[in-house]
Amino acid sequence: MWQQLRNRFGLPLTMAIVSLLGIWLIAMVLLPQWQMVDYSFHPSLLPAERGGVKDVWSLTNYATFFNNDIHLAIFFKTIWSSVLVTGLTLIVSYPLAYYLAKVATPGQAALCLLLLIIPFWINEILRTFAWYIIFAFRGPLNELLFALGLIDRPIRFLSGDLGVLVGMVYAYILFMVFPLYNAIESLDANQIRAARDLGAGWGRTHRRIVIPHAKPGIATGCIMTFMLAAGSYAVPALLGSPGSRWFTQIIYNWFFEGGDWNQGAAYAFLLLVLCIVFVTVIMRVFKVGLGDIAK
Amino acid sequence: MDGRVSLNQVAMRFGDFTAIQPTSLEIESGEFFSFLGPSGCGKTTLLNLISGFLTPSEGSVAIGGTDMTRVPVNRRPTAMIFQNLALFPLMSVYQNIEFGLEVRGIDRRERRRRADELLELVALVGSGDKPVVELSGGQKQRIAIARALAVEPRVLLLDEPLSALDLKLRQHMRTELKAIQRKTGITFIYITHDQGEALTMSDRVAVMSEGRIQQVADPMTLYRQPATDFVANFVGETNCFPGCVTVVAGEMVTLEAGLALPLIGRSSSPLKPGDEATLYVRPEQWQVGGINETHLPLLGVVRSEHFEGAWLTLEIALDQGPTVRAHVPHAGAGVGLDDQLAVGDVCRLDHSPHQAIVLPGAKVEASREEAVDVAATA
Ligand SMILES: Nc1ncnc2c1ncn2[C@@H]1O[C@H](COP(=O)(O)OP(=O)(O)OP(=O)(O)O)[C@@H](O)[C@H]1O
Ligand SMILES: [Mg+2]
Repeated sequence: MWQQLRNRFGLPLTMAIVSLLGIWLIAMVLLPQWQMVDYSFHPSLLPAERGGVKDVWSLTNYATFFNNDIHLAIFFKTIWSSVLVTGLTLIVSYPLAYYLAKVATPGQAALCLLLLIIPFWINEILRTFAWYIIFAFRGPLNELLFALGLIDRPIRFLSGDLGVLVGMVYAYILFMVFPLYNAIESLDANQIRAARDLGAGWGRTHRRIVIPHAKPGIATGCIMTFMLAAGSYAVPALLGSPGSRWFTQIIYNWFFEGGDWNQGAAYAFLLLVLCIVFVTVIMRVFKVGLGDIAK
Repeated sequence: MDGRVSLNQVAMRFGDFTAIQPTSLEIESGEFFSFLGPSGCGKTTLLNLISGFLTPSEGSVAIGGTDMTRVPVNRRPTAMIFQNLALFPLMSVYQNIEFGLEVRGIDRRERRRRADELLELVALVGSGDKPVVELSGGQKQRIAIARALAVEPRVLLLDEPLSALDLKLRQHMRTELKAIQRKTGITFIYITHDQGEALTMSDRVAVMSEGRIQQVADPMTLYRQPATDFVANFVGETNCFPGCVTVVAGEMVTLEAGLALPLIGRSSSPLKPGDEATLYVRPEQWQVGGINETHLPLLGVVRSEHFEGAWLTLEIALDQGPTVRAHVPHAGAGVGLDDQLAVGDVCRLDHSPHQAIVLPGAKVEASREEAVDVAATA
């Protein structure tokens, strides 16, 4: 790569580009991360005590986590709920992506994509807040269900996990639809027709032809959705209840309410590890490489 | 196994555009039937109507006497070979061939046995475990055939399957396809814009133009007795002489085409003196000779000579008439004319009235601007 750049831009410019890139990577990505990791292995001290005898490497921040049943429970609940969100988003997105890629006329597809994208011009917090209003105890959804005679008393959507799930599926659907759409779009329509012609029903055609072809897209969508869901703060904060707290909220609390940055850093680092593990697992499951996903 | 295909007043419209005009047609069981026509004439559309990918706007399709209107693609007794083959690239050769059997719930052992049989039929024994992406063009072609035959269709639909292959392989596959068709006895419906393919393989050919079938006939008849102007021009090469009928004597029609003398040809349509008609002479039907062969009544000037291997193509400007193409033997064949005739020479020529076809109508405007006065040249 160095050689390619040099051939194209000459030595001085290449050195400039590479060093800028290096500085950017080190200053903006590696150093802050390293700082976090470093924090997480030190106790929380008063400014005066920093660098003193008490400032030693320790695992106490991690021990706190593993000894706190509630935090552990929330951590696993966050994993499980994020997986659920990812699964739900996939289930909602797949038919949509298939429709956009293979069924809709170009005009219909453009209209649909526009309708999907417009809400994303609005800030995530405002979008989530819209759901907060819709789900409210005396909000429009309850009114509607009541008017249709489906319920005889309002439901507290915001007290359980339902609001969070719906809010997240909505918030991250595009991150699933686009990779899926791209993957399905590239499938030769004759493949689908050939499968049908050989006698396959729709279920088998999707299972054997469309889904295997779309695998890299599915993997990409799942990874993005999971990471966004696991790292989400606004949606659980607005649409969740104290009973459905997200791990990010605990991290937030350590940083800004507990004032214990070291403890918070340990928790944040755990979340990062979780995401890396998830990416690895998904890549194993779908048998795709990093290259396929980057496409 | 009844592989009859009947089209019953089938028409297909896309919006305002009529891709297939109302068409009725009977294809016999076990027949090798081709649709021949230029690009965009509706061949693929017709095939899609038979396979079920499209539903006709009017009329119905029946296979083996059963109406197919309510039968979806995956339940029709047809199998398609796609223009781009559409093999499943993520699967091995075996998995491709066995796909249709797997769908039908046939167990693994039986599937493998049948796949091996089919690999033998298409002469690819032993390549079952290869990924299809590693096969050559010709091998992919055979796998596509095997995959389609695996489901034991009553009708095999082939959409220009040889167009992606090089000339040698294409000619080889023609023979092979024909052999497979004979061996299996399945009805083959073959689509092509290549008349060579249609004429060499088919029992019968339907020539199509702009969504309409022009003529259905066996290849020989199609070539010798084209029914319409389009067929005469599309199938093989021909020279047209539009003109006016002067004498009708039974089948033989005399036509005034503006040449030094009237032309005579055969017609199967009712023509009477005064009608407009066109006479068609194939390049190989000309008899060409030197200026001294006075039994040949027409005069012309040789404009160009092209060596075509087995014959020589002469472009001859007729006296007071159009330029025609004639195929003549060359010196290498021992009876050549090329040592007697050179470009610029005056020659004499004639055609056999029994081979020339006369069709009603005189749409074709031959290029008369380049008519030369042969007498002056001589
Ligand atoms: N889904 C469609 N919507 C609108 N028009 C169509 C559709 N499918 C085909 N056509 C039109 O119908 C006509 C016939 O198309 P078709 O694909 O049958 O041609 P073809 O004879 O197979 O040509 P080729 O040899 O190029 O494959 C074309 O003019 C095409 O534009
Ligand atoms: Mg076609």
